[in-house]
Amino acid sequence: MGIAGGGSERGLMDVPVLDAPAVVGQPALRWSSRTDSLAGIEAELARIWGSTQLTTEGADGAPERRIAARTSVLSLVVIARQPEVGQRAAALIRMLVGRHPSRTLIVSSADPDGPSWLDARIQAHCILPRENAPETCAEFIDLVAGGATGQHVAAIVAPLLVHDLPVTLWWPGDPPLVSRQALDLLDMADRLVVDGSSWSGDGLDRLRALAALVDDHDLAGGKLAVSDFALLRQSRWREAIASCFDRPDLLPFLRGIRSVTVTYAAHRGAGAGGTNIIKPLYHVSWLASRLEMTVVRPLAADPTGGSDGGADLGSALVGSLRAGRRPVRVRLEPVASELPSGTTLTVEITAQRHRQELEIIVSAEAESVMVRSSLDGQTLPERRFMAPRRADVDLLAETIESVRRDPIAVAALQTAARLVGGT
Amino acid sequence: MARKAASAADPTPRTIRELRIERAGRRKRVAKHEANVLRDGLRLERVPDPHVMVLFGATGDLSHRKVFPALAQLWRTNLLPQDWMLVAVGRRPYDDETFRAEIGKSLEQFSRVPLDTEVAAQFLARIVYHQGDFGDDGAFDRLAIRLDEIDAEHGTSGHRLFYLATQSSAFPQIVAQLGRTGLDHEISGGGWRRIIIEKPFGRDLDSAKRLNREVGRVFRESQVYRIDHYLGKETVRNLMVFRFANGIFEPLWNRRYVDHVQITMAESIGVEERGSFYEETGATRDVVQNHLLQLLSLVAMEPPTTFGADALRDEKVKVLRAIPALSPAEISRDVVRGQYGPGWVAAQAVKGYRAEHEVDPQSETETFLAARLQIDDWRWSGVPFYLRTGKRLPKRATEIAIQFKGVPHRLFQDAAVDPEPNLLAIRIQPDEGILLRFGSKVPGLGLDIRTVTMDFTYGSAFAVDSPDAYETLLLDAMLGDASLFTRADEVEAAWSIATPIVESWVSDPEPKFPNYAAGTWGPEAADDLIERDGHRWRRI
Repeated sequence: MGIAGGGSERGLMDVPVLDAPAVVGQPALRWSSRTDSLAGIEAELARIWGSTQLTTEGADGAPERRIAARTSVLSLVVIARQPEVGQRAAALIRMLVGRHPSRTLIVSSADPDGPSWLDARIQAHCILPRENAPETCAEFIDLVAGGATGQHVAAIVAPLLVHDLPVTLWWPGDPPLVSRQALDLLDMADRLVVDGSSWSGDGLDRLRALAALVDDHDLAGGKLAVSDFALLRQSRWREAIASCFDRPDLLPFLRGIRSVTVTYAAHRGAGAGGTNIIKPLYHVSWLASRLEMTVVRPLAADPTGGSDGGADLGSALVGSLRAGRRPVRVRLEPVASELPSGTTLTVEITAQRHRQELEIIVSAEAESVMVRSSLDGQTLPERRFMAPRRADVDLLAETIESVRRDPIAVAALQTAARLVGGT
Repeated sequence: MARKAASAADPTPRTIRELRIERAGRRKRVAKHEANVLRDGLRLERVPDPHVMVLFGATGDLSHRKVFPALAQLWRTNLLPQDWMLVAVGRRPYDDETFRAEIGKSLEQFSRVPLDTEVAAQFLARIVYHQGDFGDDGAFDRLAIRLDEIDAEHGTSGHRLFYLATQSSAFPQIVAQLGRTGLDHEISGGGWRRIIIEKPFGRDLDSAKRLNREVGRVFRESQVYRIDHYLGKETVRNLMVFRFANGIFEPLWNRRYVDHVQITMAESIGVEERGSFYEETGATRDVVQNHLLQLLSLVAMEPPTTFGADALRDEKVKVLRAIPALSPAEISRDVVRGQYGPGWVAAQAVKGYRAEHEVDPQSETETFLAARLQIDDWRWSGVPFYLRTGKRLPKRATEIAIQFKGVPHRLFQDAAVDPEPNLLAIRIQPDEGILLRFGSKVPGLGLDIRTVTMDFTYGSAFAVDSPDAYETLLLDAMLGDASLFTRADEVEAAWSIATPIVESWVSDPEPKFPNYAAGTWGPEAADDLIERDGHRWRRI
């Protein structure tokens, strides 16, 4: 049996249940139906778990396995401004069915000036964790709201959340973080997931707004957790940088850092503000926040000139921090590169102690991060850290696994905002 | 006045004011052990320091089945440093290439997740072979030189992790050789040296003490990592999370609410090709002294103050020390041993223990043990802990069952069946999970009560592959985290419980073995042991 009425019109009910054979570790669609009201969604969710049709047919024709486990660890709400964003998100989340079975709501709005309507597809995706085990299922509600209804997404989402479970709000693309709609949604969320490196322009306005949300005591009781894929992706870089100071004789240099320079990929013609600099900025802000540096002079265009590549790459940004009484120079510099715009190329750190100078250059090389350093000109052993690009699905999984807000991520975000003139 | 006089005579500052003034006058010093704050929050990303791992017994079964596959998985997931090297030490005549080819075959056979050809090649390229006998001074001298060469070539900075995966009889010899060649010496400003020792840690209390003493002559305790792979299992680690990350169970976790505890580790397999090993070991040394007592200590210990290695192990040791050694009379009453005869397991006829390969036809080695232990402390006094382990039992299962006391007053006297007391079962393997049993009203006009269960299955809630215990433990040792390793005093405390049992059997008359058929749950005396207290073994 396949899904009947797969191309049915909005408002019609599909005939549910699919019976694809279960393959260990492979999510399979076990239920799909459609409705046009919130009451209809709730009724469909109840039908999924009450249905005896969720039995698969065994080799001998007898009913063999029944979905037995409805395990939810959270409600995941995805705000997708375009349907294709929603589809991409849904594909990722389906890969997490086994690892993090959840109720997922993918919400998008359409036709804002038309009449109000709702179109929801309700699905159950199930995974067989191993042979002879019950399947574990997760619910998906793909919801499009038209007209005025689409302007009140929070009112649609609230009744569909599983009570008592944490709510994660994933907002791909450019979230309007200061809008009423966003605040209403965030009010019911425990965690907001964004990808700062995908924001348009230089991304700095949204970064400031995000930092303000973290400080907002009205959201999640002042405990809204924020996960930025841009920061999560840098964990291997952070490991590489931290490793430079593991040697007991180099550890004291941590308190003697004098300058931090980050170079990043920029494309010709990007111009001022045309390259997203969230990732290079996070390198500096993480380091500064861990070492309790304060911002003395926020980042601004380098008055001595632009980058080596010329003005069409955009200007280098310079600023200064203070560590104790010592000033620390900061520089973010665009470099012409064919790598994706905003990709970190190098992090260069200089530190001094007792007239000795430590120089560290951490650079991206293929799928690894290379650490080269020297002490008073004497080359120290190189280290290579494998750092393959982490897929969004892994980042989302890691995000979901973090229950509370990460104080290190919060500090990095707040310092980043201060570095670009936020409060 | 008296104080002034004293001050004049002795300028050492004593009062808060004197100390403050003295300290203010000093130049501010950086704390000696200032931490690398950049490491905060990077625990899951932490890659160990570049180091050389030296694996003794590299050609043995354990290395091929467990150690190399675990290391390859760590390499595959980028958790080993890129500059990592492994020196495989063995007696057999291999060169680097032929040894790598052997390991390549083992990886194909035993890897938890298949390796890409390229990844496997990268991993194998990190392995070099060093031939030598453990009694040969020259072999160790050459090893020391080779390690220095590797340091120079690969930047491994003198960090070394020795792993003794040999027969336990070779441990003292290898440790002594490492001491003789100075390979144990940690270098100031870098160059840590650690040693992993496989079980068994001795075969009784005296030999364990002797081994600890011999290891202690060369290595400091903080350098020693005694591996009991059971502690690296995901569900065993989850046991600590379950107890100490959930507030609702701990208030009930004591003699006031718990009636008794059962810990079972059942195996359906026999001794397979380990007959000669098992003849000298038996269930008590093979399982009870380490795995079962480790599980018991994790269940019964007080909450540690931190999750640090010593805080955790301090609490485990306290539990073991609170178990009184059994007298011969208590052993004959509270310990039951057994040996399997022929029978049927999983619909297959199997031979008895005495007919197994390399087993004495008159063997008195126990393949089953059931025991009733007491923990004499404030929390558990009067609560019996029943342990049970055996080979050729009907199924493979490891479980800890906390049986709670019944309700103090029988309210539902008209119910047809008395509700059973609550039970919490923690399944370690297979189907790792947690089951809570409670009474519920049967729907209908009457007031019948039926026992129902809430069943959390680890594999359904988290359908992801857990790392193998060896992956967890090897990575921990490389990172210097000893939490899941056994400390010397812990080993000795466990032997203090197990040794009197084994010794008393030596003085006992010849046992009537075999006393249980393969495929059954052990001798009848084991049932009598628990039924004497009005309980029965759980049907697993």
